[in-house]
Amino acid sequence: MIDFIQMIVSGVAVGSTYALMGLAMVIIYKTSEVPNFAQGEMALITSYFAMMLLTQMNMSVYLAFFLSFVFAVVLGCFLEFAILRRAKEPNVLGMIVITIGIEMIILGFVSWKFGADQKTMPFPIGPYDSFIIGDIFISKLAVLTLVTALLFMIILYLFFKYSKLGLAMKATQQNSVAAQIIGIRTNRTLMMTWGISSLVGASAGLLISPTIMHPFMMWDPMLKGFAAAVMGGMTSLPGAVIAAYMLGIIENLFGGYVSIEFKTVVAFVIIVLVLCIKPSGLFSKHYIKKV
Amino acid sequence: MKKLLLALFVSLAFILSFTPGLLAEEGVTKTEIHIGQWGPQTGPAAAWGNVARGTGAYFKWINDNGGINGRKIVYHMFDDGYNPAKTKAGVKELQEGTGMFAWACGVGTTPGLAVRDYLAERKIPWVGAATGSMNFVNPPTKNMFAVYPLYKGEAKALIRYAIKIMGKKRIAITYLNDEYGKNGLRGALEELKANGMEAVAEVPMEAKDTDLAPHVMKLRKSKADLVLMWTTVSQSVRVIGTAKAMKFAPQFMSSSTTSDFTFMTAISKGLWEGVITGTLAELPGSGHPLLVKYKEEVFDKYAAKEERWGVFYYAGIAFTEPMIEALKNCGKRLTRKRFIKEMEKLKGFKGIGPVVTYKKFDKNDMYSRQGTSQTFLVQCMAGGKTKQLTDWMDIK
Repeated sequence: MIDFIQMIVSGVAVGSTYALMGLAMVIIYKTSEVPNFAQGEMALITSYFAMMLLTQMNMSVYLAFFLSFVFAVVLGCFLEFAILRRAKEPNVLGMIVITIGIEMIILGFVSWKFGADQKTMPFPIGPYDSFIIGDIFISKLAVLTLVTALLFMIILYLFFKYSKLGLAMKATQQNSVAAQIIGIRTNRTLMMTWGISSLVGASAGLLISPTIMHPFMMWDPMLKGFAAAVMGGMTSLPGAVIAAYMLGIIENLFGGYVSIEFKTVVAFVIIVLVLCIKPSGLFSKHYIKKV
Repeated sequence: MKKLLLALFVSLAFILSFTPGLLAEEGVTKTEIHIGQWGPQTGPAAAWGNVARGTGAYFKWINDNGGINGRKIVYHMFDDGYNPAKTKAGVKELQEGTGMFAWACGVGTTPGLAVRDYLAERKIPWVGAATGSMNFVNPPTKNMFAVYPLYKGEAKALIRYAIKIMGKKRIAITYLNDEYGKNGLRGALEELKANGMEAVAEVPMEAKDTDLAPHVMKLRKSKADLVLMWTTVSQSVRVIGTAKAMKFAPQFMSSSTTSDFTFMTAISKGLWEGVITGTLAELPGSGHPLLVKYKEEVFDKYAAKEERWGVFYYAGIAFTEPMIEALKNCGKRLTRKRFIKEMEKLKGFKGIGPVVTYKKFDKNDMYSRQGTSQTFLVQCMAGGKTKQLTDWMDIK
């Protein structure tokens, strides 16, 4: 029984990182219908930026993280403004290819500028400091990630539901021409979406960095985050978060009771199953665009 | 008749002018020897990228000290990112484009396997692959000379030490589910069997696994008093960290790929203290005269500013020392056939690595190409310092 509870707790812990990446992907998808495959690398470069502030400029963690979040927002806005907006006659496929290109460029830049050696980021909480209740443990960093993910989910949910900018973002996604007619500056809205999404993704990167940093550190979280977003329906913020936790827990239970060798693969098997049974995702309302 | 002879002579000269390969060995000119190497400067195994940089500095030092029999080494190193597809493409490009006389080192079991047959079919010498996998010498091939102690022997040495010296009774093994990990697993299981024991748990992991809580739970459940890890650098650190968080504190042992204790201590934030590993070359603080010489004359002079004098950096020297010795012994007439003959003549060669001995090629004897079965054990102490636990041991 203790093992079972531990697997659930560990699943929730690992699911928090997937949740943050899933949220970041959903934000952009909600506005532009483009899955952003550069999401992981945007978080990566922000993490290395924070590392640079901490180790080369000897800043305090709080100041370095604050500046990194500013950097993440500016980076997101810049990428949208300087690259995606310049795409001529863009279609979804073209935009996806552009995000993959951005991903490659950032990955190459990080390897070149910061080196490919593994590092760990200085952080007030040690990567393996844990809370222990009976025989069950959860790392303090995982608790922080969990709280961050839930906070972001609530804030973003309220933001999209009640704020003007949030509603403008939804309107831009549903009908960009109509949104322009009623006075929404869709370009600016899209730019802000990229900024916010980059900020959410960066928080995942910054919370992984105290454990291990290397140029490929965001690949797994990004893929699993994307898997969670797809499972959740790509447009549902709570859906992405719930799916991320489900994914983390299923992975752990599968590894513990079925096969540890195929633990990583199970996430993608679930995606295939979900897409076959409910193509719109588990938590998304299925709607048909009318001509 | 004269005209015919003249025409023949001119034709022959014309043909030969376009085919220098007919006159000289591939990758060798009067003044140069072309040697290639791949090494991950980026990607998941970049921590071992310094092997190739160490070789580069060593070759520069040789060139600045007169080269080898009047020839300078032209070193062609490329970054394969530990991606076998890139390794194969890069090796083919350099071999068929520029033409390498031989290949040195090359980090990794999987990248090495991608080019093993290509190099063997073309009989291109390859010395000192930076991997202890048996796949390169069992069965042996005429062109391939291994310097790295076999993972299997190293795992045996570790388990033997755990049982005989430390008195461990419950040994668990966690390993990477590829040829690297399975080589370590096989050695450990053989040694356990020889001592009438069995592993209390065998836990595989995939290279991309980052959440290792389920793996460590299995290890904890086995109530192991010693865990042998044959995984990647970052996974080994995660196993120890997760175990610490779970209050699971067995003795940890790991492969020589994690024996750079300064580096391991830094990325584990001190958790690596107490871990025992095998190793493949003399220790940085051993005062070994040749190692001191390399530090002063090779590393201090040729290494980049941000480079660190660690075991993997000078492993790039250790793995190529036998190659240099054989090249020197070839004299001025350098051919691949002669080079292989000179490699086979190396008996009891000692540089900064283990003692290396090769034999005449025998397809039934892997030790005709596996130059060593020596390793010794070390333990990581506070601050990344190294404590030598044993002398060089010969374990097959």
